[in-house]
Amino acid sequence: MKKLEEKRKVGLFQAVMIGLGGAIGIEIFVLLNYATYLAGSTIVFALLVCGVINLLTMLSFSELGAAIPEVGGEYSYAKAALGGFLAFLTGWFRWISNVFGAALAALGFAYNILFFIQVDIPLLTPLIASIIIIVITVLSVRGVGQIGPVIVIAFIAFFILLIVGGFLHGLEFSFSYPSTFAGASGVFATVAYTFTMFLGMRAIAAGGPEIKDPGKNIPRAVMISAVVLIVLYCGIAYVTVSVLPLDKIEGSYTPLTLAAEQIFGEAGAIILTVAAIVAALSSLSTAIMVQSSIVRGLSRDGYLPKFFLSTHSRFKTPHITIIFGSIFYILFAATGVVEVIGYVAGFASILGFALVNLALIRLRTKSPYLKRPFKIPLYPYIPIAGFIISISLLFFIERSALLLGLIFILLGVLTYHLRMIGYQRIRIAFGGMSLGIGGFMALFAYLLATGYLLPISVPSQFSTTVSYGFIVICAINILAGVLNVTAKSER
Amino acid sequence: MKGRKLLIGFIGVTQEAIGVLTIVFCYVLYYNLFDVLNWLNIAAEHVALYVLILSVFGFVFIISGFFLIRELLE
Repeated sequence: MKKLEEKRKVGLFQAVMIGLGGAIGIEIFVLLNYATYLAGSTIVFALLVCGVINLLTMLSFSELGAAIPEVGGEYSYAKAALGGFLAFLTGWFRWISNVFGAALAALGFAYNILFFIQVDIPLLTPLIASIIIIVITVLSVRGVGQIGPVIVIAFIAFFILLIVGGFLHGLEFSFSYPSTFAGASGVFATVAYTFTMFLGMRAIAAGGPEIKDPGKNIPRAVMISAVVLIVLYCGIAYVTVSVLPLDKIEGSYTPLTLAAEQIFGEAGAIILTVAAIVAALSSLSTAIMVQSSIVRGLSRDGYLPKFFLSTHSRFKTPHITIIFGSIFYILFAATGVVEVIGYVAGFASILGFALVNLALIRLRTKSPYLKRPFKIPLYPYIPIAGFIISISLLFFIERSALLLGLIFILLGVLTYHLRMIGYQRIRIAFGGMSLGIGGFMALFAYLLATGYLLPISVPSQFSTTVSYGFIVICAINILAGVLNVTAKSER
Repeated sequence: MKGRKLLIGFIGVTQEAIGVLTIVFCYVLYYNLFDVLNWLNIAAEHVALYVLILSVFGFVFIISGFFLIRELLE
């Protein structure tokens, strides 16, 4: 315990910088356009609600981070409190959130770099961003890394400049809504969509073991970070919807650049674009490294295959997990659809947040005597409210994004159960399926050749060839089935 | 033992290829590329069923082939 106290070197200011550095990323630069499409001028109110909801769960994060000083964030908390399947799911949600966060950052980089260079091939820029980052992260353990205190202050200065400049420019705020505005449900859809803007504040909880006087400094750092972010984001949204017409914001993936151009001219646009590019590269690098560490953590605990733990022989970097996650995020970035990617990132984060609140409640009953340097106020109301509100937000997520998120969850559930069943049993099961399909193919080839009772037919000159083709496929499947079923157990 | 390895390699790779081709055929069927529905005399309302069956078969082939290739590489 003395050792842990000696490790505590981070003061309140640095803790706030950690929170702001984790939260300020590409999201504010790219999510604003579709958020405005959903909420119109009420985006300011939606961001306020989003910040407050995030704050509720951040308090849960803070208690758990201070009580469980381990690397791994919510996965470690869920492992200690819930264990088994729910712990795996928490890690899986964080992985999904980071993969889609990386895709969002790659797209943010792509749309902003277009300000300087004109590329006619729309998919080329996310690909270039991804390749740069993969090379950097594979070659260096740290990569570009999370943005440091100096850059955090620079970002805050840019944002304040934009807000003050907007006010001095003369704002004409009026409540205007898009034709598709859906009232309160539109506002909550915006909250779900912009959820990822604040969630980087959890970095304070991750740094919990190193924060001096955690009982006082953690809640203060969380509160200060949340207030600063709410003021900055609401201010930026207010200025943007005031200086630009709604249709101009909705039609651009770089609305802040347009707002800066409107207020400060060309120079403002250049500065904001450079800031967005730095934020995109930083977010991309952080997301890739975080997804990599999650996959390695899940692999270490036996939920995923052990080969994910291997590192590059020369650079000592987790190249397998970096490339594994990169394949997914490049695929999604290549679609260019910011809206769906933003929603899925939010969807996974919301589910992860719900489980963190659940973990806190469970740990309070399971380990009441655990040393907690910081205890959440108004327990159990705050974690219960955090859980209920998080789950409620899922109802406002766009259907296609929800479906994509659910497919990823299904993939996770399948992976978990397959790992738990064991390799040999799965192999025998698939061998059996191959045998069954082989038998079915033999019958199908016979029926096709004789023209019995089939709702399909092939031109008569090909029927013999097709039937032979089916017989070959049938033989391959039966042989594959036999080989899989008769394989010797490795373990 | 060497004979089994050879057989596993051949069957594994072939099954994997059949699996991939099955998935590609699903795509062709779903979008009726090359007028395949007419060629095979398949009613439009049955397409979803065929795509479902073929995609399940395709994935089983791919996974089963993967197990054989994995054994070969070990």
